[in-house]
Amino acid sequence: MLNSLIFIALPYAALALLLLVTPYRFLSNRLTWTAYSTQFLERKVLYWGINPWHYGILPILLAHILGFAFPGIFKPFLGNPETLLGVESVLLGLGIFAVLGVLLLLLRRVNSGMLKRVTFSSDWLILYLLLFQAGTGIYIGYFMRWGSQWYLHTAVPYLWSIVSFQPQIDYVADLPLVFKLHAACAFLIVAVLPFTKLVHMLYLPFDFLKDPPLLYRWRSK
Amino acid sequence: MDVRAQIVMVFNLDKCIGCHTCSISCKNIWTDRKGAEYMWWNNVETKPGVGYPRQWEDQERFKGGWVVDGKKLKLKAMGKGPTLANMFFQPNMPKIEDYYEPFDFDYGNLAGAKEAKDQPVAEAFSQISGKKIEEIQGGPNWDDDLSGSQIYAAKDLNLKDKKVIESYDSMFMQYLPRICNHCLNPACVASCPSRALYKRGEDGIVLVDQEVCKGWRFCTSACPYKKVYFNWNTGKAEKCIFCYPRVETGQCNACAHSCVGRIRYVGVLLYDADAVEGAALKGDTELVEAHRDVILDPRDPEVCRLAKENGISDNWLEAAVASPVYALVKEFRIALPLHPEFRTVPMAYYIPSLSPVLSTWGDTHKLLEHGMIPALETLRVPIGYLASLLSAGNEEVIEETLKKLIAIRVQMRAENLGLPADPALLADAGLDEAAAKRLYRLFTVAGYNERNVIPPQQREEQDPQRRKQEAGFGILKKTRGGGK
Repeated sequence: MLNSLIFIALPYAALALLLLVTPYRFLSNRLTWTAYSTQFLERKVLYWGINPWHYGILPILLAHILGFAFPGIFKPFLGNPETLLGVESVLLGLGIFAVLGVLLLLLRRVNSGMLKRVTFSSDWLILYLLLFQAGTGIYIGYFMRWGSQWYLHTAVPYLWSIVSFQPQIDYVADLPLVFKLHAACAFLIVAVLPFTKLVHMLYLPFDFLKDPPLLYRWRSK
Repeated sequence: MDVRAQIVMVFNLDKCIGCHTCSISCKNIWTDRKGAEYMWWNNVETKPGVGYPRQWEDQERFKGGWVVDGKKLKLKAMGKGPTLANMFFQPNMPKIEDYYEPFDFDYGNLAGAKEAKDQPVAEAFSQISGKKIEEIQGGPNWDDDLSGSQIYAAKDLNLKDKKVIESYDSMFMQYLPRICNHCLNPACVASCPSRALYKRGEDGIVLVDQEVCKGWRFCTSACPYKKVYFNWNTGKAEKCIFCYPRVETGQCNACAHSCVGRIRYVGVLLYDADAVEGAALKGDTELVEAHRDVILDPRDPEVCRLAKENGISDNWLEAAVASPVYALVKEFRIALPLHPEFRTVPMAYYIPSLSPVLSTWGDTHKLLEHGMIPALETLRVPIGYLASLLSAGNEEVIEETLKKLIAIRVQMRAENLGLPADPALLADAGLDEAAAKRLYRLFTVAGYNERNVIPPQQREEQDPQRRKQEAGFGILKKTRGGGK
């Protein structure tokens, strides 16, 4: 029952919300499409929170995505125990970095009076979800060793079965509870993403890298 | 040559009385909203002073504008790679304290007070946190009229000799009204990773597309004039829009329209877009001249032909000929760009103010020459100070301008009193009697339509359906975006 909820109901609900709500929000209310930066109001603690968080979590997120997309490449690459140890250590370090960052971001909202009026329930929600997600991630990374390798053999085929609409939860059904919570939280984050300021991560500013510095807009041209 | 049109404002600092009427009319129309309380798209600051936000001219701190790197211009703050790396925390962004914490007063405190010996006061509270403010720490014109000059005016980067403001005999002040300069080489536009900022091709107004802006905040520090603001409520950047809904219909900007001293002039300039980067690359002392070289003569038939090729309409060309801005900036060369050394090629120009008329008695008497009007070298406002503000340190440019302004005064005073004028003085300043008359008229009795020559844009002819779909500021939940 729990397995079906976490590994079938949740991912499909999350996917549906992401795919339907995101374009709706983009078309109907793009004025709210921003990271809602609070640097203007409080910057001292932010510096120590936001940088570790982003620089820690982005490589980890990328590793999850690349492992999902190209398992064939990473299986032999991580077959070498020394490489595996190196990758695990780096990712664990980054994970701790990220958790400390998100913890600071959370405490900062608690303590700063200036941030009261720019903090909404959705901000608390994603901060708690992200803290939980990063925390369980570290626990798994430390206590369920060689995750970067077994991830490729369990979660990745399961995720592929989800996106190809032939869900096979056998791959992940017998894993410990903490892994299931980690997966459930991941799906929750995807589900709330289009409703919160997390949408900022869906826009990657790469156009400006190739554009000329000045941008003109003509009504007539 | 790529001829384009730009709508430009000129400020006659000599006539600014620092009444802040412009700021108030702008505020009432555009920034009287949550998140925008602290924004003053138009502000007036006292010089010498630190201005708003405090010490905005200090580019070592805020890293605004451009610098010359070999034979190319680059943003002073950072290149594109570092922009991506600094996306999460923007190191140069000014903080709320650099402006001031916006406040209001709790009048309920007064209305609900019981009868007593001492009446209560309306307590100040923060418009951000909502908490009571015991002691207000700042405001948009906190150092108005040199108040606290030892703390504020002494920190003015343009003031080389701090002793000047320590004594009543040498102290001076003047006002500096500022709006967005709608630069030809805007650093804010170049710094935006989302490409939300853009310059309108038809009239050169620089705007932030509120739908595209993702709140990365690089523009707030890249603008060396600190005229792009971060709305803490919407999480996006905002700036002076040159009152485009008014200007498009041929009306004058709210700030210029409400100006009590009638110090502002609005008009069209034609410029060569191909020459802009070259002008910004010039050395500091040549910058003002380079600015003027970018501006084209609307009476030149070749310029007119190329302008028409670029789609500039006849009524815009007529407006360019009648433009008071062209007369002040290029023809008579008395309006100067503010801090041209920031290299954004700003399109707001300032006529420097003259010094106060001095007494005929005592020490200052010896300064007088030409009747009541002081000689150039002995002016109370140091030429070096004006040069630091308006000509990137080139004192010759300031001298030329002041000479003209003084010559016009002497000429018109003589005429008024029926005294013989000294024709050499005008000629020495590079003017003739007709020019003096024209400028005198612009400075004094020129009416609304002479000071503001704004051609309507006939947007109704350009894709009317799209025009109707585009809404103004602050309207949430629009159905579809403007943009392209």
